Amino acid sequence: MSIELGHFALILAFAVATVSTIGGYMFWRRGQRVALVLSQGAVLQFVLVAAAFAALIQAFIASDFSLALAVNNSHSLKPLIYKISGVWGNHEGSMVLWILILVAFGAMVATFGRRLPSDLMTLVLATQSLLVAAFGGFTLFTSNPFARMVPPPLEGNDLNPVLQDVGLAIHPPLLYAGYVGFSICFSFAIAALISGRIDQAWARWVRPWTMLSWTFLTLGIAMGSYWAYYELGWGGWWFWDPVENASFMPWLAGTALLHSALVMEKRNALKIWTIFLSIITFSLSLLGTFLVRSGILTSVHTFASDPTRGLVILALLALVIGGAFFLFALRASSLRQGGLFAPVSREGALIVNNLFLATAVGAVLVGTLYPLLLDALVGTTISVGAPFFNLTFGALMAPLLVVLPFGPFLAWKRADVMAAAQRLMGAAALAVFLTILISALGGVSISLAPLGLLLGFWVAFGAIAELVDRSKLGRVPLGESWRRLAGLPRSAFSTAIAHFGMGVTVLGIVATSAWETELVTTLNPGETAELSGYSIAFDSFSQTAAQNYVADEGHFTITGPDGKTRPMIAERRTYVATGTPTTEAAIETYGFSQLYLQLGEPLDDTHVLRVWFKPYITLIWLGALLMAGAGFLSLTDRRMRIGVPKRVAHAAAEPAE
Amino acid sequence: MMCVRVAFRVIRPIDGAFLPLGGVKHLGSMLFWFIAIAITAIACAALFYAAGGRTVNVSAAETGDSNSHFRLVLAGIDADLAAGKLGEAEANAARSELAREIIRLKAETGKTVAAGDLGRTPLLVGLAGIAILAFAIYAALGNPNLPGQPLADRTEIATQSLDLGTAVARIEQQLAAKPDDVRGWAVIAPAYTEMGRFADAAKAYRRVIELSGPTPKLQTSLAEALLLESNGAGSDEAMTLLRAASVSDPADPLPRLYLAAELTRTGQYDEAATAWQGALALSQGTEPWLAAAQQGLAVAQNDGAPAGPSPGESQMIAQMVGGLADRLASQGGSVEEWMQLVRAYLVLGDKAQAQMAYDDAVAAYPKAFDRGELDSIALNAGLTLNGATP
Repeated sequence: MSIELGHFALILAFAVATVSTIGGYMFWRRGQRVALVLSQGAVLQFVLVAAAFAALIQAFIASDFSLALAVNNSHSLKPLIYKISGVWGNHEGSMVLWILILVAFGAMVATFGRRLPSDLMTLVLATQSLLVAAFGGFTLFTSNPFARMVPPPLEGNDLNPVLQDVGLAIHPPLLYAGYVGFSICFSFAIAALISGRIDQAWARWVRPWTMLSWTFLTLGIAMGSYWAYYELGWGGWWFWDPVENASFMPWLAGTALLHSALVMEKRNALKIWTIFLSIITFSLSLLGTFLVRSGILTSVHTFASDPTRGLVILALLALVIGGAFFLFALRASSLRQGGLFAPVSREGALIVNNLFLATAVGAVLVGTLYPLLLDALVGTTISVGAPFFNLTFGALMAPLLVVLPFGPFLAWKRADVMAAAQRLMGAAALAVFLTILISALGGVSISLAPLGLLLGFWVAFGAIAELVDRSKLGRVPLGESWRRLAGLPRSAFSTAIAHFGMGVTVLGIVATSAWETELVTTLNPGETAELSGYSIAFDSFSQTAAQNYVADEGHFTITGPDGKTRPMIAERRTYVATGTPTTEAAIETYGFSQLYLQLGEPLDDTHVLRVWFKPYITLIWLGALLMAGAGFLSLTDRRMRIGVPKRVAHAAAEPAE
Repeated sequence: MMCVRVAFRVIRPIDGAFLPLGGVKHLGSMLFWFIAIAITAIACAALFYAAGGRTVNVSAAETGDSNSHFRLVLAGIDADLAAGKLGEAEANAARSELAREIIRLKAETGKTVAAGDLGRTPLLVGLAGIAILAFAIYAALGNPNLPGQPLADRTEIATQSLDLGTAVARIEQQLAAKPDDVRGWAVIAPAYTEMGRFADAAKAYRRVIELSGPTPKLQTSLAEALLLESNGAGSDEAMTLLRAASVSDPADPLPRLYLAAELTRTGQYDEAATAWQGALALSQGTEPWLAAAQQGLAVAQNDGAPAGPSPGESQMIAQMVGGLADRLASQGGSVEEWMQLVRAYLVLGDKAQAQMAYDDAVAAYPKAFDRGELDSIALNAGLTLNGATP
């Protein structure tokens, strides 16, 4: 019965959302009571969808095969954690997760946004409800997760073995929190367009939501990248797969939004552009959702789905995005433009950031959609691969990274670029010195690698330089510097850490792309291979059985350059329920570098072994973690919260960022 | 006494109905509708009362908010000025720009004041809309009469598709969590016996007796497990249990049979004979153990020597068998006749002859299908089957 109650709860949430949408748009001028009802409605939607989601989880845990979703994606022998994560390892269940996060954000706005003006609140929640109604309706009517199966089969079909991983428990919820979080910015933009209320206060309300979503999206993408790296067995960490791009585009747009909202909050400028970015960012999130579910792509991310679904979601997309841009076209001209500023200023630097990021979004969008459109319209299949993206995206990012450290050094309104450059001299010198040192030690080759290193170091040290400069380190006594550093607002630290993280990621990308080594060899137990100073001894080969798979295991002993040995086990698993094989690579971390072992299919009793040495590859994800950490740090800053800062006296003591 | 062990083995496969239940029993659709209506009512009530909830002065909160925001910006300008990021003139310009913004916002806020409050009618219409929409859609999509069927509740699966090992493993898991579950122990004990895990079976029966008190049946089963575990060596504890059981349940032949078999094995023939007779007296005439009990009684009455035919009888049998063998060798015969011959040689203890007769039968009936039971008889007697040793 819990399944049917869950079904009813989802339907009731849909009904509440539908009525909230209509009521909200009809009565948004009617003051506080409407806002209160819609707030309550938002909380209700969350409670109901959470109940529906809990019912699905319960059915999966109990292996209730009268639920069609459980039949298709579960198996009674699966470990408990994969029974739970299996709920969203498919189209229908992941839609429910998507909606759950959507209503969770709505409930958060309702709970934390008590100080919002009531008309803005009503419009924001009405727009959120519109999204809930649209996607709830799509879920209920075209891909109902609560469809039953009569009579229930004896056993389920199991979840795709590639998805039977902790990654599935972490990656989609984080990514969806990022995607869906931008719906709040979207709703705020729509509310601003309808009400005509757009001012600095608006930017202050939007920025924490942008920051929160961006932080989740950063974590989600990094997690997905690491998952693909260790699970797919190719040792790659980014494939420019259309679905990866679909998550990357909102990230780029969200990054731009984060910075433009800053300009709007501080300087009351870039208003229309910020609204536009809010709409674009969420639209790109929806595009990602569409690409994954339409069935036009084939990748590990795509769910088997029928074309009707694709058409419906395309129509939804057209409605939401088209409606938003229509509204934008109608109302944008009536919005007042903001203050003026000189080209060389903090605002100017942030606009440069926005220009490059927006162009990068465009480049990735073209690279992702062009082949799809060409295939759909002309029937020609072309492949836009990594070379295109590396070239265009790289070319766009390089200048952005060059100017990035200048930004925080520039004053608002009008700044002195020479003064900023002088303050950055130290960072630049350090970056050049380290690049030369590394190139000298590693042997110089004619490549872009030293340039990449230089950029990475420049961004990383430039970020720290800002903190050093503001603490007046070296110019005043150490104690005074420390006092100044401790007195800096958290936003100063979060800016520095996020930019530093960017530099770290760049360094990781450059190092692993330039100095990765690879070895493909046949190796049998008892034999030894060598790669980049690591000796890989194949000790033994054995077969084991686990709860729901059998595994061929290769046991290796690695002797590192330091002479110490470590054991590694690479597996090839065959899942019992489906007979699907998966590769479980063995990964061993040495400092920031990793050794990656993949055992191939046995060929006439010989084993094919692929070994990669990936120097400094973990920096890629560490950088992302730093960026996300900076996001969370920034959210703990009082001034970022929705509520008005209580410590006005303290805030006055420090310059606003 | 292998035959005794096999004869008395009580096979009690796990009945799915006894498997521990994991979920809640199914409830009718009445209850579902009751809960669904209750949820809807609560939701609508929550929305209705939200409208009459807190009455905060909105406009004050709004201007308060934007004012504090502007104060913060002003503080930022001052701080920038103090830090030397802005010149005096630029700071003044920024301040006046801020002032213009505040004035403009004040004017706008004045214009867009709430256009009346939300009445009760639209609210009630909305709530009715929610209820109607929810029930209409559910009526179209839902299956209110379909109960949930968690795997653990599905007895047909437990009996059909679960092999004994899986079922036992599942019960063991439950027992690890709830070691005081009498029913679990009671279900798993005979399963252990069935699987040949006699020590575990004995442990399980002991646990049941501990938890629910001794009954003659439990005592017999425990004794059975102990005897099987001892692998023919006997067990004093088992004897005590069997005696107690046979006393407290005078109608059950099983404890008497085990008692008799053990007494026979240990050479206490008088007592054994009494026990065999006691068991036979309780027989309905159709039990599978009947033959074994009669044979056991004969052995006991014969003071341990296997009861065989008298010399005169033996001679007569040998003549009959010889005649049959000659006839079958010269004229051939039915499978039943060959079977009779093989069986006769086996009864006479002449295994070599039996093998020869069987081989002849195989020559006469080369297809195993035609030979029917003959192969099973040969197999049980340890003859070489069809050229292959069993």
